[in-house]
Formats: sequence, structure tokens, C-alpha cells
Amino acid sequence: MLRQDPGPEPTRVIGLLDAFQAAERAGAEAVGRWIGACADPRLRGGLKVIRARDARHAALAEARLRALGGAPGARVGRELAALCGVVADPGVSDRSKLALLVGRVPVSEDGPLGRLVREVEGDAETHALLETIADDERASLRWLRTMCEALERERA
Amino acid sequence: MKVTHPDPERDRIVRFLDALRAAEAAAVRVLAAWISVCRFDGLRGGLRAIAEREAAHAELLEERLREMGEPCSATLDDVVLDMALARFGSGSIPDEEKLALVLARYPDDASAARPIRATLEQLDHDLETREILRLVAEGEAATVAWLRAYHAGLARDA
Repeated sequence: MLRQDPGPEPTRVIGLLDAFQAAERAGAEAVGRWIGACADPRLRGGLKVIRARDARHAALAEARLRALGGAPGARVGRELAALCGVVADPGVSDRSKLALLVGRVPVSEDGPLGRLVREVEGDAETHALLETIADDERASLRWLRTMCEALERERA
Repeated sequence: MKVTHPDPERDRIVRFLDALRAAEAAAVRVLAAWISVCRFDGLRGGLRAIAEREAAHAELLEERLREMGEPCSATLDDVVLDMALARFGSGSIPDEEKLALVLARYPDDASAARPIRATLEQLDHDLETREILRLVAEGEAATVAWLRAYHAGLARDA
């Protein structure tokens, strides 16, 4: 008889979702501070969408990990905390922030969530949830790249 | 921050933003009704993320209209909304049929975003709203693409 893949351990999925919700929450907060100091209306518009989506991604991940029996408690790592610090800092230029964010993901890569999506294969609901969130993240990254290029052209 | 809108077509743009906000808010309610009776784990996961995306769009448009000093007054026709809630919240209508109903409205993935893209092209005087709409349009196209891919997957497995 064919047996279905049992999928990942729920505790492992809970841990992944917890780390993800903490990262998205920290990202939304940092982008919110960037918006507060940003004078470019194009950037403000797109960043508002990114902040709103990141906050909702955090809420979705938290709801899912609670549905699986977990509780949120993760804190972001030092590297991500440092990145958020730069993004939130009103003294750092928009151009530097954009370059830092788009430089984290090579152009050849599909997006930052690919590995996470693959790790929850076997848990259909979490997998589809993260796959759909990954679409948002890819759109955000594409937009950030476009804005980064636009600001570079305007500077030249 | 209050923003002014010098374009003579301001009223038309405001009406478009308000109507889009109302449609996105209504979609959140319909998706919640669907999620509550959805039989497929994968579809439920995707619908949850799509519902949050739509809710974010509605919230952003409402915030932008308020910044423009405009009220949010558009509503969806009650009869239309009630029918949608009854249909998508029905446990006796198969998920495949609901997916087909949504996809029938959009012949291709870009079609859901086309009216939004047409409007944003006219917003050179309001760059903040333009960029909000650009990402909202991407989200709409991504929603249709995901639902189409899921529907095709169900048809393959049938």
C-alpha cells in the first residue's frame, strides 16, 4: 500500500513559524520607522504596502503556530536585528537601505522564503500559507530592486 | 499627513480608490466564509494568506483616502455580497466549483490587476498612491495565479 509522506515534525514546523513571525514583526517595525523618516513619496508608498504585508505575515504565522499547539516566543538573531537597526535609522540614506536589502538576496534566487517553504513540505496548510506569503515577498523584493535602480540612475 | 491632489480627475481617482477598498474589504468576508468550510488543507492555507493580503489592501487604501482628506463611503451592493457569502460559505458547493467561479471572472492572471494598472499610469502627480497601487496590482495578479495553479493541480489529480 502506498504510504503518504508523514511530513515534518509539528514541533519543527512550530519552530520555523515562530522564527518567521519574529522576523516579519521586526521587519514591519523597522520599515515603519523608515517610512517615518522617508521624504521620497514613491518609497513611502511601496514601503507602506511592505510594512502592512509583513505585519500580516507575522500574524498569519503566529495563528498557524498556535493552531499547531505552539506559542510564539522567538527573538530575532543578531544579524537580523542589526539589519533592522540600519533600516530604521533616519541617518542612513534611502539608497543605502535599498542596496542593503536587495543585496541580501542574489538576483538569481527566487526569493528569501524558498528554503522555508521546502522545509514544511508535507504539512499542506502551512506549505500553502508560506508559498502564498512567498509571492508577496518576491513582489516586495522586485519592487525594492526597481526602486534601488531608479535611485541609482537619478544619482548618476 | 494631509495630501493635496491637483489633478482635475481627482474625484474619479478617489472614487476608484474607495470602490477598490470596498471590494477588497468585501473579499475578506467572502474568503473567511470560504475558509470556514474549505475541505482542502492546502487551499485553506492559500486562502488564509490571500485573505490577509486583501485585508492589507483595504487597510492601505482606507489610510490613503484619509490622508487625502476623503471619506471611505463606498459599499458593495448587499444583495451581491449576501449571494457571494452564501455561495462561498456553502459546505455543499465543492471547492473546485468555487475556484472555477472565481477564475471565470479572470481569463488571465493579469486581468484582475488591469484596472488598477490603468489607474496608476495616470498618477504621475501622486507618486505615493501610484506605488501603493503598483504593489496592490501585483498582489491581485499573484492571487489569481495561485488560485489558477491550485485549480489546475486539483484537475490533474482528479
